[in-house]
Amino acid sequence: MLKKQILEEFQKTVGPENIDDGEVMTNAYAYNWCMELVNCMEEKEPIPFSPIPKAIILPSNVEEVQQIVKLCNKYDIQFKAQSTGLGPWNQPSSENCIILDLRRMNKIVKIDDKNLYAVVEPYVSGAQLQAETMKYDLTVHMPGAGPQVSPLASATSMNGPGFTSPHTGHSARNVLGVEWVLPDGEILRLGSTGLKNNPDWFSGDGPGPSLRGIMRGWAGAKSGIGVFTKVAFKLFPYPCSTKFKLKGISPNYEFDIPDFMKLYVMDCKNYNYLKKVFLAVEREEISFICSHLSGYGLGAIFSNSIESLMDKIPIASTHAPLVIVIAARTRREFEYKQKVMNKIMAEFKLENIIGTKYTPNSLFYAEALRSNLGLHGFIATGGFQSSKGQCDTATVCLNTTKMSIPLKKKYIKKGVIANDFGEGVWMTSYESGHYFHVESPTLFDQTNEKSVNGMAENMNENYQFDLIKHLGAPFFVEGDRMHDKFGPHMMNYHKWLRKIKEAFDPNGIADSGFYISAK
Amino acid sequence: MDEEEYQKMIKRCLRCSICKWIPQVQIKSQKYATACPAIDLYNFHPYSGGGKIILALALEMGRIKPSEELRDIVYKCTECGNCAIACKFLNTLEPLEIIMRLREKLVEAGCGPMPKQKAYTEAVKNVNNPYSEPHENRMDWLPNDIKIDPNAKLLYYIGCTSSYRRKEMAIAAARIMNAAGVAFRILQDEEYCCGSPILRTGEIHTFQEFLNKNVDIIESKGIETVVFSCAGCYDTFKVDYPLYRDYNFKVCHTVEFFNELLEAGELKLTKEIPITATYHDPCHLGRNAERYEQWDGEEVKLIPLISINIPPKPKRTGKAGIYDPPRNILKKIPGLKFIEMERIREYAYCCGAGAGVKSAFPEMALNTAKIRIEEAEDTGADVIVSACPFCSTNLQDGISESGSKLKYYDISELLLMSLGLEPEKLKQALAEVA
Ligand SMILES: Cc1cc2nc3c(=O)[nH]c(=O)nc-3n(C[C@H](O)[C@H](O)[C@H](O)COP(=O)(O)OP(=O)(O)OC[C@H]3O[C@@H](n4cnc5c(N)ncnc54)[C@H](O)[C@@H]3O)c2cc1C
Ligand code: SF4
Ligand code: SF4
Repeated sequence: MLKKQILEEFQKTVGPENIDDGEVMTNAYAYNWCMELVNCMEEKEPIPFSPIPKAIILPSNVEEVQQIVKLCNKYDIQFKAQSTGLGPWNQPSSENCIILDLRRMNKIVKIDDKNLYAVVEPYVSGAQLQAETMKYDLTVHMPGAGPQVSPLASATSMNGPGFTSPHTGHSARNVLGVEWVLPDGEILRLGSTGLKNNPDWFSGDGPGPSLRGIMRGWAGAKSGIGVFTKVAFKLFPYPCSTKFKLKGISPNYEFDIPDFMKLYVMDCKNYNYLKKVFLAVEREEISFICSHLSGYGLGAIFSNSIESLMDKIPIASTHAPLVIVIAARTRREFEYKQKVMNKIMAEFKLENIIGTKYTPNSLFYAEALRSNLGLHGFIATGGFQSSKGQCDTATVCLNTTKMSIPLKKKYIKKGVIANDFGEGVWMTSYESGHYFHVESPTLFDQTNEKSVNGMAENMNENYQFDLIKHLGAPFFVEGDRMHDKFGPHMMNYHKWLRKIKEAFDPNGIADSGFYISAK
Repeated sequence: MDEEEYQKMIKRCLRCSICKWIPQVQIKSQKYATACPAIDLYNFHPYSGGGKIILALALEMGRIKPSEELRDIVYKCTECGNCAIACKFLNTLEPLEIIMRLREKLVEAGCGPMPKQKAYTEAVKNVNNPYSEPHENRMDWLPNDIKIDPNAKLLYYIGCTSSYRRKEMAIAAARIMNAAGVAFRILQDEEYCCGSPILRTGEIHTFQEFLNKNVDIIESKGIETVVFSCAGCYDTFKVDYPLYRDYNFKVCHTVEFFNELLEAGELKLTKEIPITATYHDPCHLGRNAERYEQWDGEEVKLIPLISINIPPKPKRTGKAGIYDPPRNILKKIPGLKFIEMERIREYAYCCGAGAGVKSAFPEMALNTAKIRIEEAEDTGADVIVSACPFCSTNLQDGISESGSKLKYYDISELLLMSLGLEPEKLKQALAEVA
């Protein structure tokens, strides 16, 4: 709860109906997915609740955000911003914190169909934006978390791989101009948005040094460096016809698959071969989706329940499958892409098992176009988290996958994570195979303490393993504990990150639980 | 939902917010992407379906106590079930059932329902309807010229709202049956509230009294089929009653019944109705009108942490909703141009009236209706049609409040007009609206 006078000041800023410091509201906002895991890793009670925020506040515009941040500075209260609010990263790390739920900031400010970018506020969902950009034959990048989450959060503050990444890139690389309320309450407009004359959103960099790296770098500051109130990011041509017709009742929709869209699943049998095929496909720049999934993952993206996953055993038993979706807007383009695929399959002596061993429901294609495949990860146990994740070359990504299998098997044997033969993985490519990302979705039961403890131990051991084996920096190097662990092995980057934090947030007002504190 | 399942489920919300939206693959615009009136209007996460699951968990864990703060959030919900459809696209949670159970728990704790809802529960107990109207006036809607057959095997169950508030619907339904030569009876002063408004606020004990009373009476008269023009009564009889007690008669809604009569050529639509109409699916006639299927399977542990249900447990996903019959009827009306809204069928947006919201939170009901009316207007239609007296009242309130030019008709009224009923008789029917 807030002191009465402080509450009144916040109320003056947003109106009394847009702030709540009651027991019920604050407790509800303390809950999040995987919070039990985070608690466990920090040696706290493994419950899905974080420290209880002091209050929840719902600003409606940048000026209100600015005022809130200034009040936080005045009263030495921390803040945590959330857009769509999925995941432990949204949770306060102490009880001296308010949550800014940015739900009321939900405008699509601009869709520039000529210069291929959109400007949005935090609570525009990926699906909403895509529905509007489809009217211009364009689409948008969404993280694997799904179309219901905020592209602004992903672009500014989170990592940002997605299933359609070969076509729509990575959040870190898509971000352009930004409106940013710094932790001291100043407003910073990044790139061309900050120009004195004719400011516009088309570029994230202006003359002089770029701040984009400081703003988000690779994995995002997770609200530890201020609040982003508007962002511009790139749009991409919609890969095929935007006619989108579904029949039937949820979840068993039938989709009119666009004329020029085709799915390939090829079993590459082993990681070495997979790497070669992956690179060959990506070099051709023809794919809309190009991902390697483990057998389980492959079954899951074609299933909408654990029971329906059971029918997919024939495809789930593939060893190193590569999933490729090509899509085109003209017959010629489609024929060209198919020819390229045929050539690659002939060269590598591979077969497309789609249409021969397996034919997915048409809904798969709709979900692929609308970036809804990631949430299929939940269908088996309801609980999953990636026990590790890297962005690197294909070689490093596959090495880390291969080398982690025995480690994962150890925990499978203990019965604390579900058996995926240790191979549970999702890997996708960016920028024509220039780099890749890999992560190890791992199934655990969030309601079973033994499983949560085991999963936490598994994640900690994975991080240690990455360090010892030089497998790069995992995604979830977040918070002081992890930065202090990895920094000394990585050119002491953590010291520089701390300097940034100190310069931007001298009073330590932006909650740093998932970033770094100035210390 | 039994206690064991409740306890299991409340620990499993992913906080993914899928339940705030219609199924993701159905989103056609930014404006009409959302599913839940409660979160749309009140913004704080606990108002959503998933948010209420978190409240249920926090309550069980003793992190929060039954309180007015909690009660207001839990009851600011129309129990429209749109959250459940969205969640079950991939997940297996039952936010609607959890909300219903949470309300029962608040009632048990002496914290629920809302004071206005308590008052109407008392009214149901005293005068058999939630409007506090005298029981003896229940048949006042019935014009003298309607033919009733006291020995018919088909019962028309009118329901409290059509009996007292939306008489035009009862009149239209009765006249259509007369026009088709269908012999039907009514329960006269033996018709009581179906219990829906009390069930949905968590007062399950009173609900069961009414359920038993209604089933006993209907069965004692050897009735074979009960037809309802109220979506709420229909859903309660069809879906909720069998959870407590089996009965030996069939139930159907007038849209199903009239559609069959049209298909069979028993009704001839002759008069042109030159309007452009859109149709609002009532939650109780659409997604929620799906019976629970008996499941006698078992949960089999496949490997550590992974279990499957053998055979698969049926999910209620709205697949058995009554969506096509009303659309078929509208498409058969000469001169009527039919046009769809963006949110339809199993993911239709709620009118805003249900589960005690209209009485306890009239502003929530009205604001939700205004959102739905705007959606209907955006189609270019000049008429919005539905098939539920509760939707009728609330959507008409929404029309007047927002100053919309849209007109509202119950589907049976349009059918009646198209049957070429003489204008005086129609007027007589419409006069009852006032
Ligand atoms: C099934 C599943 C699959 C996933 N796959 C991917 C994936 O493929 N790629 C990926 O990147 N992630 C993935 N994730 C993690 C995911 O990115 C996050 O859970 C998700 O992006 C959070 O999204 P959100 O939009 O709800 O943002 P939020 O949860 O609102 O925010 C995310 C973070 O950014 C901060 N933040 C949000 N808005 C602002 C703002 N306006 N200003 C400052 N800080 C802000 C928050 O404090 C939080 O730390 C996955 C998660 C799940 C559950
Ligand atoms: S109720 Fe279902 S859809 Fe809603 S947040 Fe929870 S898991 Fe997600
Ligand atoms: S039942 Fe309807 S109003 Fe209630 S939480 Fe679910 S979607 Fe919202």
